[in-house]
Amino acid sequence: MPELEIENLRKSFGDNTVLHDLSLTVPDGQITTLLGPSGCGKSTTLWSIAGLHRPDSGRISFGGRVVFDGARIDLPPERRNCGVVFQSYAVWPHMTVFDNVAYPLKLRKVRSARRRERVLEVLGLVELGDHVDRYPHQLSGGQQQRVALARALAHPPDMLLLDEPFSNLDAKLRDRSRDWLRSLQQRVGVTTVFVTHDQDEALSMSDQVVVMSGGEIRQIGTPRDVYENPADLFVADFVGTANILDATTLAADGTTATVRLDGLADPLRVPHAGTRTGAVSVTIRPEAVHIVRAGEAAGPNTVTAKVETVSYLGDHYRYVLRLGGARLVATTTRPVDGTEMTVRLAPGDLRLFEPETTPDHEQEYDDE
Amino acid sequence: MTSLRAPARPPVGGSRAARRPLRRLDGTTLSHYVISAVAGVLIVGPIVPVVVASLWTTPLYESGGEPTLANYRALLTDGAWWSAVWNSVLFATLMTVGSVVLGVTSAALFTRTNLPGRRLLAGIFLLPVVLPGIVLVLGWSTMWSQAGFAATWLRTNTFLSVPLDLYSVPGMALVGISVAAPVVFLFSRNTLVAVDPALEDAARTSGAGPVRALTTVSVRLLRPTVLNSTLLIFVIALEVLGLPLVLGFSNDIDMISTYLYNNWTNSSPPRHGLVSAGAVLMLLTVSGLLLLRNKLVGDVGRFAAVTGKPTGSRALDLGPIRWVLSAGMLALLSVMVLVPLAGVVMAASTTVFTPFISPWASLTTANFEAVFANPVFTRALVNSLLIASVGGALTTVAIAVLSVIAHRSDFRFRGGLQQSMMWPRMVPGLVTGMAFFWSVIVLDPSGAVRASLWAMGLAFAVRNLALGYSAFYPALAGVGRELDLAARTAGATYWTAMRTIVLRLVLPAMGASFVLLFVAMLNDAEPAVFLVTDDTPVLGLTMLQLAATNIGGNVAALGVIQMVITLVVLGVGRGLFGVRPNA
Repeated sequence: MPELEIENLRKSFGDNTVLHDLSLTVPDGQITTLLGPSGCGKSTTLWSIAGLHRPDSGRISFGGRVVFDGARIDLPPERRNCGVVFQSYAVWPHMTVFDNVAYPLKLRKVRSARRRERVLEVLGLVELGDHVDRYPHQLSGGQQQRVALARALAHPPDMLLLDEPFSNLDAKLRDRSRDWLRSLQQRVGVTTVFVTHDQDEALSMSDQVVVMSGGEIRQIGTPRDVYENPADLFVADFVGTANILDATTLAADGTTATVRLDGLADPLRVPHAGTRTGAVSVTIRPEAVHIVRAGEAAGPNTVTAKVETVSYLGDHYRYVLRLGGARLVATTTRPVDGTEMTVRLAPGDLRLFEPETTPDHEQEYDDE
Repeated sequence: MTSLRAPARPPVGGSRAARRPLRRLDGTTLSHYVISAVAGVLIVGPIVPVVVASLWTTPLYESGGEPTLANYRALLTDGAWWSAVWNSVLFATLMTVGSVVLGVTSAALFTRTNLPGRRLLAGIFLLPVVLPGIVLVLGWSTMWSQAGFAATWLRTNTFLSVPLDLYSVPGMALVGISVAAPVVFLFSRNTLVAVDPALEDAARTSGAGPVRALTTVSVRLLRPTVLNSTLLIFVIALEVLGLPLVLGFSNDIDMISTYLYNNWTNSSPPRHGLVSAGAVLMLLTVSGLLLLRNKLVGDVGRFAAVTGKPTGSRALDLGPIRWVLSAGMLALLSVMVLVPLAGVVMAASTTVFTPFISPWASLTTANFEAVFANPVFTRALVNSLLIASVGGALTTVAIAVLSVIAHRSDFRFRGGLQQSMMWPRMVPGLVTGMAFFWSVIVLDPSGAVRASLWAMGLAFAVRNLALGYSAFYPALAGVGRELDLAARTAGATYWTAMRTIVLRLVLPAMGASFVLLFVAMLNDAEPAVFLVTDDTPVLGLTMLQLAATNIGGNVAALGVIQMVITLVVLGVGRGLFGVRPNA
C-alpha cells in the first residue's frame, strides 16, 4: 500500500478560497483523519484525492504515482484506484449486494470465478456473507454502510477514502461501527483517509489526526498529541471542550510563564515556550478542573467560585461556575452540594495561547 | 507528530499519467462537445433561416434576392394582420381570465373542501388535458354551435337556449377555457397540496376560522402559481392554431396563427416572406412573455409537482351547500367536457346526427370503415404512429443523453445545454414547423428529406423536447450524485457510470417520458403545417384541415380513433411507469 502525499493543494470557488496551500502526508497503511467543522475544506480535500473535485493547483501522489499535478496531470477518478465510502453510502439500489461489490471487479475484467471468490471474501470480511443476494432496500443502514465498504475494498484500492461514513447511524451503532472499522482497517492495512467533524470518532479511530479550519491545517498529530497539546486555541476548543480564560503573562522565559488569572490570588507558573508578556488565553479541560472536597486542604492555585448551573449527564455531573467575569466548566463523577465550590487549576493542565491565534469561528464554506 | 515527508520519487505511473495530460481533452469530454454541438444545431439552429427568410426579397428556395425590410412593412401595413392581432389578444385575454378563475376555484374546491364527488369531478375536469385538443373542439362544435345537436335539442324541447355563438371570439374563448382551465387547476392543485398544513394550523391556533385560514394562508401562497399560469395560458392562446381554424372559419375570424396559416397555404402565390416576418414577431412576443414569466416566477415552478402530501391537509367543511356546489360543478363539467366528448362519439357512430332523428336508429360503423378505406387517412395514421413510436423512442434516448451531460458532468457548457433543451418551449409550434421547412429547403434543395418522414419527425421531436425533458428531469435529479461518483471511483468511465447506474435508475422515468412524447407527437399538428407534403400527412394536421371545413362523421371517427389510441397509450403508461400527464 502506498502512502499519500499532498503538496500545496489550493482550491477556490470564486472569491472563496477553500483550500490554502494544503500539504499533508498520509503514512502507508495508517488511518489519517481530517477533522474540522463543516466548511473547513476536509471534504474538498478528500474529493480532490478521489478525483471528484479538481483543485486549482498543487500535487497529489499515491506512493510516487502522480494523480494530480496542477495543469499537467489530472487523472479522472476511474483511473486513481481509490475506494470511496460516501456519506450517503451510495449503494446502488438496482443491484444486489453481490453485484454492488462485484462492480469494480467487473470493470477491471476480473474473470467470473475469481470475481465471485473475491466478492465473497470481501463480504465475509464485512460480515455480510449471508446477505449476498439481498437488495439494498432490504438492508439496515449499518448493513448498507458495510456494503459500501466492501465495494470500496473489493478491487483492492490503493487508498481507502471515507467521507463521514457514520453520520447517518444512530449513536450506539456508530460506536460499534467505529471499533469494527478500526480493527478491519488494521487487518487489511490499507492507507485510509477519513473525514469527520466528530472529535470522538477522530480520536478513537486514527493513527494521525489532521485538524483543519478555514481551509488550513491547524495541527497534525496523534490523537493524544492533538488532545493534550493542542497547537492553538482553535484546536483546544474544537477537539474536546476547553475552558478559555483571559489572563495576563507577567513574565516568560521560554520554558515557563508566570500568569495572572482573573479571580486567582496568586500568579500561576505554567509550562510555555513563548517569551511574550501581556494578554493571553489560558485553557483547561473541564475534567482537569479539580474540585476540592470538604476536608481536603485547599492548597495553592485554588479559587472559590459560585455554582451557576448543575446538569446531570448520567455518567458525570457538569458544573458551570462563575469565576470573576468568566465562566468555568468543571465535570466530576461525584456531586458536590452547596452554591459555591473551591477548585484547583493545576499548572500542568493549563495551556497558554497568545491572542493572535484566536480562530474565526464564523467561516462558512460549501463543504462539498 | 507530522510524519516525515518521503523524498520525491520518480512517478512510477508517469507514462500512464502522461498519456492524458488534461482531462478536458479526453474522449468523454470530446463526446460531450460533439453531442452538445449537434443538439444545439438541431434545436436552435433551424430558427436562423426563418429570420433570414423574413429579411429576404425572394423565398430561400429561389436563387438571388437581397436583404429587405419589405416583408415587415407589408405585414405591419396589412389591416388584416392588425385585426388578427386584435382578435388574438381579445381571445387570449378572455380565455386566460376564464381559465384562471375556473382553475383556481376548482383547485380549492376539489383539493381542500369536502365537496361530494370531488375526485370524480376532478377526473372529468382533467380529461381535456390528456385528450387531443382538436377532438374536444370538434365536440363543442358538434353539440353547442347554434346548429349543434345539444343546442338544437335544448331550443326545441326546453325553454333554454345557448346564449353564446360558438363561432365568435368569446365563443372560441369559452372552448379554450375548457382546455386551459384544467392546466391552471393542475398548477394550483400542486401548490395547494404542497402547502405545509402546519401553516394553516398556525393560523387556526392564532384564532382564524377554517375559511379564513384557507383564504389568508394557502390561497395567498398561490399567487406565484396564478401569475405563472396566467402568462402560460396567455401565450398558449396566442399561438394556438387548431381552435381558431376550426371555429373561426365560418365567420372569417382570423387570429395571428390562422392569418399566417392562410397566407401560406391559401394565398396564391404563397406569401412566404410575409409569413416568415409574422412568425419572427410571434416568436419574439411569445419568448418575451415566457422570459418574463421565468423572471417573475423563477425556474423552480417548471418542475413543481414532484413533492406533495396528498393527505396532509385538512378538508374544509362546506356544510349543506356542498351538495348544491357539487351539482353545479357537475352541470358545468357536463356542458364543457362530457357533452362535447359524447358528441364526437355519437357523430362518429351515426349516419346523421341531429335531435330530430333518434341516434339509435342511425347507428353505423360506416364512418370508421370510410376512414380505414381512405388512403389519406390511413397514411396519416400510419405516419403519425411511426413518428410517435420511433420518433418518441429516439427523442427519449436523446433527452436522456443530453440530460446527463447537462446535469451530471463537468462539461463546461452544460448550463447552455440546459437552456437549449428548454428553448423549444419558447417557440410556437407554427414557428418550429416553419424553421424546419426553411432549413430543409436550404440544406436539401432536392426535397428528398422533406418527402421522407425524417424532417417531420425531427420537427416534432424538437417541438416536444422540453415536454419530455420536464417529465424526465425530476427523476434524474432524484438520483443522488454520489451514486454515479461511487461508480467513477470504483473504476467506471463517465459513460459507463451513466449507462450502468444513472440511466438504469431512471429507466421508469424514460418510459414515462416516452409515453408523453408518444401522445404529444401523435396528436401534434402545428409543426406540420408548413412541412407537410402529399406523402407525409400526419394525423393531427389531417384532422385539423378536415375539421376546418366539415364536421362530418368521418372526421369524428378519426377523432375517436385518435382519442382511443391516446387513452390506451396513457393507460398502459400509467400502469407501467406511473405516467401522470400533468407535469
